[in-house]
Amino acid sequence: MKDDAFETLLRDALRADVKASQGCLADLEERVASELGDRRPRLRWFQWLAQLLAPTRSGRIGQIAVVGATAAIFLFLGVTLSDNVPRMGEGTQLSLQPVQSADGTQEVLFVLPALDAEDVAVVGSFNAWEGTDLSDPDGDGIWTASIPLSPGRYEYAFIIDGRWWGQDPLADEYIQSFGEYSSVRYIGRGGDGA
Amino acid sequence: MYRVQDEVSLLRASLQGDTAAWGEMITRYKDAVFGLCLGFMRNRADAEDICHDAFIRAYMNLRRYDLERRFSTWLFTIAANLCRNQLRYRRNHPSTEEPLQIRGGRDPAKLLDAEERQNRVREALDKLPYSYRAPLVLRFYNELPYQEISDILAIPEGTVKTRIHRGKAMLKEYYEEGA
Amino acid sequence: MNRIAVRTVGIVMMLAFLVSGATAGASLSEFEQALRAIPVSNLDYILASIQLGMTQSDFPDDGLMRLIDRLTRRTASAFEKEAVLLVIARGSSDGLPVEGLVNQALEGLARGVSLQWIEQNLSERLVLLSETRDLLYSKGIFSGSQGSSTAATPTIPTLRFNQLLINISETIGDFLEGGGSPFDGYVLYEEVRNRLTMLEGVTLSADDVALVLDRIDASDLTQVALAAVS
Repeated sequence: MKDDAFETLLRDALRADVKASQGCLADLEERVASELGDRRPRLRWFQWLAQLLAPTRSGRIGQIAVVGATAAIFLFLGVTLSDNVPRMGEGTQLSLQPVQSADGTQEVLFVLPALDAEDVAVVGSFNAWEGTDLSDPDGDGIWTASIPLSPGRYEYAFIIDGRWWGQDPLADEYIQSFGEYSSVRYIGRGGDGA
Repeated sequence: MYRVQDEVSLLRASLQGDTAAWGEMITRYKDAVFGLCLGFMRNRADAEDICHDAFIRAYMNLRRYDLERRFSTWLFTIAANLCRNQLRYRRNHPSTEEPLQIRGGRDPAKLLDAEERQNRVREALDKLPYSYRAPLVLRFYNELPYQEISDILAIPEGTVKTRIHRGKAMLKEYYEEGA
Repeated sequence: MNRIAVRTVGIVMMLAFLVSGATAGASLSEFEQALRAIPVSNLDYILASIQLGMTQSDFPDDGLMRLIDRLTRRTASAFEKEAVLLVIARGSSDGLPVEGLVNQALEGLARGVSLQWIEQNLSERLVLLSETRDLLYSKGIFSGSQGSSTAATPTIPTLRFNQLLINISETIGDFLEGGGSPFDGYVLYEEVRNRLTMLEGVTLSADDVALVLDRIDASDLTQVALAAVS
């Protein structure tokens, strides 16, 4: 078959498949909106400030002016800039953006929702597979631990009340290890990609 | 064709939490994203889930999107990464879903010529390894230029061209075998 | 050689030996003590391999010490415990980086799987390490001192070479463990490319990654994977 004709066939087949599934896409907007609910995108500090100071302004010049003004304010106040997300209200808006320290390690946040659990730990290649405890001080079922890690690749799993749980929703990858899942995170370049 | 400025205002509104504005972005991109997912995954249920997921994630991570760069590239990259992860999962947990074929309750022997040919292409696509199928889908369904495919799949442009070339050849072989 | 020269060489060697012993994380005698607690029957062999391994600064002495301790505490025959250590010893004697093996063993112990399974897993990964090294050599990529490097046969400093070796072989090992087929060379290449590029500029040098990805291909990786499963 000629190349052009084959390409057309390929295109048509791919399009036909999507068309045949049109039904399930019909209410995607509503479903996404309902899942998002009150959630807002996690903002960087200058985006948040930009909204606060000039909410109706659009265009790059407006944005730059706002950034310039707020930078001046911060310089004056001597506040150090960081990438932490300011809390915008209720809900668990946790920042997963690691903060780098002087010795090259980053404080990496491990988070696991585990309602009704009594004991949650994380084991992995960073602690010789010996547990580091997570804690839930406010009792809302969200367990966290912050571990300083040097850039690299780490395998780990959670242990919830003695049971291993290998699929961290926040992991970069999953692998199989001794018949069970383990999670993988890359810290450093590529470690915080979407 | 959408005016880029128009899209930028929708994105700014979305950043402020305007889910209606985000809804408008979904309307504009859902076919493209779904088609990408369906082409990559060859499985309707997975494609639906990933498509939904991609829009959720993109919204929550809008702060990472750099307005200087193309929105479509960024969105498609999220979808492609989600597909890749799901494919790893599927290696150990194969889907029980029926393959994508035109049937509609009709006797396979009585399918129209064109439909039969399409089914053969579908079967061939199912057989093609992911690393060849992905660039083909982006090229022939999403109609993207090589540079954008290279950005989305994080492979060099030269590799994209090779894969598309070889992928087409492999696809043709499978297609001819299925005759 | 005259007597004075011989003596000088002897003193220098002794000093070098003392210095290397003194700067190691755990000392050889500490390893000896720990191994005797299991106990192992091939003590000399294992110690010699550890000593050889310790000449490289990336030797996982802390991890290995922990492994030996945990094996000691584990309820199982000494024979089975030693079997696990012998795989690591073989790797180390062969000049291969054993950090990944030690890590795998620690994970296996933490998960409570049988020592047999751990030993089997480690053996497979050892083959992968060895075959991957052969592959790199066959592509003209060598490890060692910079002095002998040429464009056609580049020599990568040992520590960097080891990181490449570990990451490539582990990717193949993970792939096989996840049920992947060795014949899916294209997918394997994709997996290796992904891992190496994720670590580019982090624990791997960009030049090394580019070099490797340029010279190896899908069928090479299939060959390596097949060696481990046969």
